[in-house]
Amino acid sequence: MAEIVQEVKTSVRKRTPRKPKKSQIPAALVLTIIVVVIGFYLAGLSPKLPIFWMFGLAFGYVLQRSRFCFTAAFRDPWISGSTSVTRAVLVAIGICTLGFTAIKYGAVLNGADIPGMGSVTPIGLPLVLGGIIFGIGMVIAGGCASGTLMRIGEGFLMQLLVLVFFVIGSLWGAHDQGAFWGPTFNANAPRVFLPDLFGWFGALVVQGLIILLLYIAAVKWQEKKGTAE
Amino acid sequence: MAEFTLDCLGEACPVPLMKTQKKMESMAVGDVLIVSIDHSCAMKNVPEWARNQGYNVEIEEVDDGEWELIIEKTK
Amino acid sequence: MQEFFIKLGKAETYQKLFKEPLTYVAGAMLLAVLNIAHFAVLNGGWGVTSPFVSWGAWVVKLFGVDVSGWNYFSESARKTLANGFLMDGGSIRNVGIIFGALLATLYASQFKIKKIKSGRQVVAAILGGLMMGYGARMASGCNIGALFTGTASLSFSGWIFALCLLIGAYFGSKLLAKYFM
Repeated sequence: MAEIVQEVKTSVRKRTPRKPKKSQIPAALVLTIIVVVIGFYLAGLSPKLPIFWMFGLAFGYVLQRSRFCFTAAFRDPWISGSTSVTRAVLVAIGICTLGFTAIKYGAVLNGADIPGMGSVTPIGLPLVLGGIIFGIGMVIAGGCASGTLMRIGEGFLMQLLVLVFFVIGSLWGAHDQGAFWGPTFNANAPRVFLPDLFGWFGALVVQGLIILLLYIAAVKWQEKKGTAE
Repeated sequence: MAEFTLDCLGEACPVPLMKTQKKMESMAVGDVLIVSIDHSCAMKNVPEWARNQGYNVEIEEVDDGEWELIIEKTK
Repeated sequence: MQEFFIKLGKAETYQKLFKEPLTYVAGAMLLAVLNIAHFAVLNGGWGVTSPFVSWGAWVVKLFGVDVSGWNYFSESARKTLANGFLMDGGSIRNVGIIFGALLATLYASQFKIKKIKSGRQVVAAILGGLMMGYGARMASGCNIGALFTGTASLSFSGWIFALCLLIGAYFGSKLLAKYFM
């Protein structure tokens, strides 16, 4: 078998004569300087802006380096049966839950308002429809919001086009959400914050169980679908 | 022992993976497929899928941001 | 000079640090730590799509259309609109994602402009973009805001959103196989 691979490799080399590769590291160094300069410029505008800038850079860097793709987490199980990205997303959610909850509970202990409650959004028809529409869109477009931005950085012109229509769709959706979906369906829709139901400790147990069960399901899924011919 | 090529340059995820799957299905055991891609994610998920199937995979970076995946159908 | 950088790019340590992709789980851990830090510093989790509405609003404003009166915009969102792009942290963060990814790609010497190959890709980009934009507004977020930050915030809406994404991705995959391959 090793011989076959060897043979292929040589035949490949013959077919595609390689042009000497150029290193892009100098460009990377120049861009690093530009990025730092932008940071200082933003600091002059408002002290909070460089923080956002740094987080954006870090998120983009990590997304690209790990090829992390939230779209793949939902798409690959259907297409190839692979759930490795799905499981990675579950790991991310698990770790993040611990950190978020620690910060929130710390605020409770200090008698402060719980931060980040804006993320507890109403569960109603718009959430369900929005999720399905978003799910279809991200598979067709080849990446979700963070993925689209990351791929623009990688040089994909297609994703630049996706972004343009993402913005148009956002404006359209914002109009309809404010004028129709929100007032019609979300006024009485429940916002379910797990600690309200189970207490802080109970919420972590429930969250942990959800993640564990999904993780096991993902492993089983891959065993069943991933390697089936 | 035929050798096939598949041009997926410019294709975004998951098209390279789906095309590779389709092509591999039509091939006989022992055949080799060379997939050209320039999508950094496909360079991770196509080999992963192929290895899960038990195929032999080699990745070669042929140019800046361009790879050739050499997949041998072993079974 | 090029010689030196080509050599550097081939060094084993450099390859490990800047070229070989990290595992998905390593990426997951880093993203989680970053999101936690984000939450600690800025009192809220990471999100991506809300600024896109502002971007749209600023663009149509260039053509003389003012949308800030829409029901959708809250008091603080109106303030964001009034202050402009450069003062909006969320917008800056999104541009940061583009630059961060560009940096990573350049350090790996893997940058390449990838042109649009076919009309089918154009249709996919337009449809996919519109659906994601519209869907994200209905669900108050995307894979980051509604899913990652949502679930980690112990909001049950995040898990419902995940289930709906899975259903949507199923139909998306079917559509893709049928029309966009």
